[in-house]
Amino acid sequence: MTAAWVIPLFLSAVPQSIPARPEALRFDELRFEVPDPSRYRHELPNGIVAYVAPDSTFPLVSLRIQMRQGSYLEPENKVGLAGLTGSLLRTGGTERLDPAAFDEEVEFLAAGISAFSGDSRAAANLDCISPVLDQAMDLFFEMLQKPRFDEARLTIEKESLLEAMRQRNDDPSDILSREWDWLLEGETFYRSRRMTKDHLDAIARKDLVRFHQKYWRPENAIVTVSGDVDPAKILAKLESYLADWSGAGAPTDWPPPQPAHEPRPGAYHVEKDIPQGTVVLGHPVPRWADWGNPERAALQIMDHILGGSGFTSRITKRIRSDEGLAYDAGSSLGFDALGPGSFTVSFQSKNDTVALATEIALEEIERIRTEPASDEEIAIAKASLIETFPRRFESASQIAGTYAGDAFIGRSHDYWKSWRDQVRAVTADDVLRVARKYLKPDAIVFLVVGKWEEIAPGDAGGRASMKDLFGGEVTHLPLRDPLTLKALP
Amino acid sequence: MERSAFVLALSLLAVDSVAGSEVAKVPVETFELSNGMKFLAVVRPELATVSAGFVARVGSANERPGITGMSHFFEHMMFKGTRTLGTRDIERDLQIVEEQERLQEAMRAIYREQRERYRLGEIDDPFADEARPPELLELQKRFDALTEEERELMVKDEYDRIYTAAGASGINAFTSEDVTVYFLTVPANKLELWFWMESDRLLSPVFREFYSERDVVHEERRLRTESTPTGEFDEVFDAMFWQSHPYSWPVVGWPSDLRSYSLAQAKEYFDTYYAPNNLTAALVGNFDLDEARALAERYFGHLQRREPAPDVVTLEMDPRAEKRMVAECDCQPQVEIRYHSVPFRHRDSYALEVLAGLLNGRSGRLYKSLVLERGLAADAAASQDSRKYAGAFSLYAEAKKGASPEDLERALLEEVRRIVEEPIPGRELQKVKNQITASAYQKLSGGFFLLIQLLQYDGLGDWKYLNDWAETTLAVTDSDVKRAAERYLDPEERTVGLYHREPEGAEP
Repeated sequence: MTAAWVIPLFLSAVPQSIPARPEALRFDELRFEVPDPSRYRHELPNGIVAYVAPDSTFPLVSLRIQMRQGSYLEPENKVGLAGLTGSLLRTGGTERLDPAAFDEEVEFLAAGISAFSGDSRAAANLDCISPVLDQAMDLFFEMLQKPRFDEARLTIEKESLLEAMRQRNDDPSDILSREWDWLLEGETFYRSRRMTKDHLDAIARKDLVRFHQKYWRPENAIVTVSGDVDPAKILAKLESYLADWSGAGAPTDWPPPQPAHEPRPGAYHVEKDIPQGTVVLGHPVPRWADWGNPERAALQIMDHILGGSGFTSRITKRIRSDEGLAYDAGSSLGFDALGPGSFTVSFQSKNDTVALATEIALEEIERIRTEPASDEEIAIAKASLIETFPRRFESASQIAGTYAGDAFIGRSHDYWKSWRDQVRAVTADDVLRVARKYLKPDAIVFLVVGKWEEIAPGDAGGRASMKDLFGGEVTHLPLRDPLTLKALP
Repeated sequence: MERSAFVLALSLLAVDSVAGSEVAKVPVETFELSNGMKFLAVVRPELATVSAGFVARVGSANERPGITGMSHFFEHMMFKGTRTLGTRDIERDLQIVEEQERLQEAMRAIYREQRERYRLGEIDDPFADEARPPELLELQKRFDALTEEERELMVKDEYDRIYTAAGASGINAFTSEDVTVYFLTVPANKLELWFWMESDRLLSPVFREFYSERDVVHEERRLRTESTPTGEFDEVFDAMFWQSHPYSWPVVGWPSDLRSYSLAQAKEYFDTYYAPNNLTAALVGNFDLDEARALAERYFGHLQRREPAPDVVTLEMDPRAEKRMVAECDCQPQVEIRYHSVPFRHRDSYALEVLAGLLNGRSGRLYKSLVLERGLAADAAASQDSRKYAGAFSLYAEAKKGASPEDLERALLEEVRRIVEEPIPGRELQKVKNQITASAYQKLSGGFFLLIQLLQYDGLGDWKYLNDWAETTLAVTDSDVKRAAERYLDPEERTVGLYHREPEGAEP
């Protein structure tokens, strides 16, 4: 009896105690080495760089071709030409197939084929199941090399763009982003300018054909392939597709031009009859081209602490969590390799608490410039950045995408090797120093879209009003005619 | 493209298939604890992470007038800490929560009078700041003082801080009409942390900051509903479409309810719907299955099973008449036609999915007809929305070049008529099926996305849908599609939302 009683005690195991706090848990070490870029990087005979990351877990393939071109290359009187060329490349058919027949073939293969052209980057993508890769690649390269730019589809596309323009004042966030771009970079800079109906009317099929011939060129291309492929086979295939695609074009001017506009600090407002003001405030930061500069790691930690990491960051904690003033509140320090980046705080709050939330955001910007961050804040930010780092390389498509991204902006792949050590080395002093250097309270531009008669006086409790902010002055910006972008009366 | 080429391709695919069968399937290990909590596990050794989460089988459909929005509000409260996390002095913290609740009780009594004054026309808004009587301001002052005191003891957002410092990402949750889903991704070596943290908040949650979080949710409502071009009208449309079913109110809740719920209501809600037997957890990623089983038992095994949550018994009434909403908004002219159809995993839901497939896409019928041939629309789409208790089939189009929402409505109805009355070409049906075959793989490829689908589907009824939807859908015939269209898309039982652009300069 006794023996029988003793044995189950050992077998069934006394319920292991659960530690009182999560800090007591112990974890195995997770080792992670940055994958060797040379295993993925290939150079085709014509000089095109291709990143190939095979992964046969699923019979799926992704192919992407990105190019250093975009709207910075379009004439000023034809804003939107680059974008329209990208979309018509996909929708306008090929020399062999009219648009409907091309769509039909692509969709029958259940392939996803897309093309777009942004400000300074254009890309074409193919996603499909591997058994149909050959047929899908035929269609994909046919599109890239022999597009039809069908006149009737161009008309339809232009009509759709016109309808999209009509909606420019419907959503407050669209008004906000347009006016913000203009306040920061002016109305004519390639990244901030917007298409008008006049631009649209001026664009003809021949413009698209010319833009395609000039800029959708292999000389500018970086190829990425991930998924269920054999690297040697896919490279041979790419080579054959790309071999007879060469000729006229010279590599484009790179990088794109820099803005001449100087933002004027202060408060700006656009009237919209909505219950909630939508806000962005901040200023430009310099273009970032020196990826060896250790300030980069300190800035990422500062961004994490100030407003870039949700509930663990100060701005979100105070505006949302402490005060309940907004659902979405945070900040972001965005560096750009091709032009100025920006530091921005954004939130939406009911009209009468816009001033209070703004005051809190400004306090936090001041605080991170004047007081060292706590050891705990620095430790959380570092741990988070270091522990999530392997996720950048978790799948084949992420590995290929990360390294292709380096190639696109001209960053060495070695950047990633020392990345975690750079983060580890950051001190509270470093964070304070970069905050002082890069955050500029006097340069802040504030923009709100909402109902001014409710925003201006501030909250019922009298904690903050717009009179106390930005010298009590505000510039009321007019709403723009959605088609001409001229000020409405 | 010859069709035979694709069939050949598909048979090749069958040979290479991950699950060794013709369509994509994912191997899911399942186990259940003695308290009824279910676990779904997918081991993916190629990943460096584990995506983990759980679904509570509760959503806005389980609410009632007075507590609309509670499920979603509750989702927010689940991040506010526990007896262990979130405070330096749990005894005083709980006292403060209780004292604050007494003050709120007194405030609610005043709001009861405010509503009476509102009914009598003495005030225009029972919740307006300027309508607050002095007693209310006094109570608010005392409440705020306690908040200040509580804040001194709090470890703010400790739940997020611990996870973030451990390298967790995507720490979030969502609420729908039927389910509430909590999820995140942790480094592969930190799975036990997920067990610790989630069992802690299911075992001893503390709903601190209840009332300031109500304000956050109100801002969320302003953001998503009240400040978007069509948000408030979409809400009207839903309320009009669902006659008797609780799907008629919005997930975020009515504003007056958001202002009124109490801690006691929240606690009762938690006890009813967050019992282990109403939860399914899922893990997808790089972990050891036996270890996960042991951890599940150790951390969740002692949660107490409770009475099964009440079923939603109200059935949607059969539609008796066409319903129309005519809205004027700062929006592109557009139309939605919505029909009552069928819920999740209903035998006809698969044919309705195929129907939507025939109508959608650049080579689909709606785009071809409304956008390309007739030039009436900038965009057009169809969808089958299969919810847990009921479903709806929608047709949607956005106007261009001065076409009216009524023009679009006629054109959409014409496409429905063609489906019912004219033969469906075999190649067209095959195209939709090819897309289903491809999307069955695409749906399984991302670890995090796979987790969300497992939780969503199990919350709606059964995760196995993920492995059998493609096969069942591939078996749908053209006559199944026609029969479903004829049965569910009855023009006389449609609900139509017509959105006109408000003329410029019109008063709002």
